[in-house]
Amino acid sequence: MVQSNSSAVAVSVNHLSQTYPVPFVRIKKLLRRKFKPPVEALRDVSFEIHAGEIFGLIGPNGAGKTTLIKIIATLIQPTAGRVSVQGSDTVTGDEDVRRNVGLAGAEERSFYWRLTAEQNLLFFARLHGLSNRISRRRTAELFELLELQDVSGRRFAELSTGNKQRLAVARAMLAQPRVLLLDEPTRSLDPIAAARMRSTIKSLAQTNNSTIFLTSHNLLEIEELCDRIAIISKGEIRALDTPQNLRTLHTAEERVTITLTGITTTDAEQALARSFEAGLFLVEQTTQSNEASVKFKRAGNDELLDRVLRILQQSGAVIRSVESERATLLDVLESYDRQ
Amino acid sequence: MMPFLRRIWAFIVRDWRLELSYRMQFFLRVLSILIMVTTLFFVSKIFTGFADPRFTQWRDPLAAWLTGLAVLNYFMTGFSSLANAIRQEQVQGTLESVLMTPISVPTIIVASSAWDFVQATFFSFLYLLFGWLFFNVHYQGSFILALLFLVLTTVVLSCLGILSASFAMVFKRGDPFGIFLGAGSALFSGVFFPTQLINQYAGTSIGNISRILPPTYGLDGIRRVLIEGQGFAEVKEPFFMLMIFLVILLPFSLWVFNRAVRRAKREGSLIQY
Repeated sequence: MVQSNSSAVAVSVNHLSQTYPVPFVRIKKLLRRKFKPPVEALRDVSFEIHAGEIFGLIGPNGAGKTTLIKIIATLIQPTAGRVSVQGSDTVTGDEDVRRNVGLAGAEERSFYWRLTAEQNLLFFARLHGLSNRISRRRTAELFELLELQDVSGRRFAELSTGNKQRLAVARAMLAQPRVLLLDEPTRSLDPIAAARMRSTIKSLAQTNNSTIFLTSHNLLEIEELCDRIAIISKGEIRALDTPQNLRTLHTAEERVTITLTGITTTDAEQALARSFEAGLFLVEQTTQSNEASVKFKRAGNDELLDRVLRILQQSGAVIRSVESERATLLDVLESYDRQ
Repeated sequence: MMPFLRRIWAFIVRDWRLELSYRMQFFLRVLSILIMVTTLFFVSKIFTGFADPRFTQWRDPLAAWLTGLAVLNYFMTGFSSLANAIRQEQVQGTLESVLMTPISVPTIIVASSAWDFVQATFFSFLYLLFGWLFFNVHYQGSFILALLFLVLTTVVLSCLGILSASFAMVFKRGDPFGIFLGAGSALFSGVFFPTQLINQYAGTSIGNISRILPPTYGLDGIRRVLIEGQGFAEVKEPFFMLMIFLVILLPFSLWVFNRAVRRAKREGSLIQY
């Protein structure tokens, strides 16, 4: 597990556990009523997020992502363990934490539907203690940044799902928090808007030195944006590292596919059989009648690929393409979820 | 102080805008108050000259009813506005968003109810205004003293309102305080008839219920001041009773509300309803 390095710690999570209690359990026991066991949402979770870092959290539904994000946002009190944001404890210093944290949740029902987009943002800006003048300026800036100017006067109820999502991100950024918690920020956005949102997120981390804690089901997005990723499954952090290292740690092997012409599949098989043990290669005809493909697995940086290419070329093959495929984040996620 | 006031102002502006999006409701409510005052005027004419001389506040029943209704409207706001606000935020799903801002629990309590008090002040005033304007109802005594009673009783009831909101926060539905005070105040606090009549007809044990209800003392004090023209020396008893309620209920209700918020956070049930 990759832990702290030299940069300042923005969010620190220490031995965090969360078990949702059974409501009124004593009364239910007294009345001999049946009740479901308490739900253990998080179990001994520990990690640190550095200032200016984009940190991703991935995991299947029900893994504990939202619980974790809500604990950092002070909306849920943990059963055990401690979370601090910019040095303030989320339980004992919750007001300080909320000054430093902005949350854009996945919950659509968190705005006043009969107020306009602008009226909603102005209300929350004033709750953050911003003056009228600063609230208006900040709201205008965010509308411009997130391309919401055209809908600022529309009631929230009339906004598209994508615009509602963008407004949630705008609200999270109102008080220029040091830590932004983004729960699926590009959910419901069209591909162009999603790309712009990703670029906004990147620039926030780069230019404002904001720390960003991000959850998403879009693994490509997580991979593109995040400096480090934690994989959570069944309430436990299963792995935490850079996207590259996670893939490598998961499996050092890479799948290679060579497409060639000039020789038959039988020629290719015989040439390879002379130098390597049987069963290493899968040689097939491709959909193109004069093309064959050779598939095999190799360790990250070994010389197997070089040797195979040389043997095939010496047998008269013309190499058309070489594709290598490493484990994707999805493979990594699935493997941890299966455990 | 400025951020505190700014936040309260934010809530008032928000609720005013939400109210504006339902314009018709406002006019219908004004109309219903006018109809109610007119109805009571005609009912009061049945009793002209028949009032029991023991009940000095009830010589003009219309004045007593209008004062009772105006004050009850205000008291009920104090009692129910916070619980309603919390419940509404839960149903709308906005409670978490509000609690995500750096806003303290006392600020939430005051700010959530602020608009309701603005409204209650206006509508309570309408009862008295319509009585004076159209039906020749006259008030006397110190309006400042009456206002003091009004504020004090409202703060006491707000404490019960905080307890009620705590209940809504944890149990979501079903509020014993609401049932007790809502139904109890109209019957036992002397809104429509003197509380002494309960003793006379239902016995002292049931009559004593009115003695544990803060609105009884608030209403009695306000009527003594506005209808009988009494001064502070004569209304000391209900005043001190309200002070005792306040001293006990204020710290207790704040403590319970804090616990309720913490419990809802532990259970992760802030936006459940």
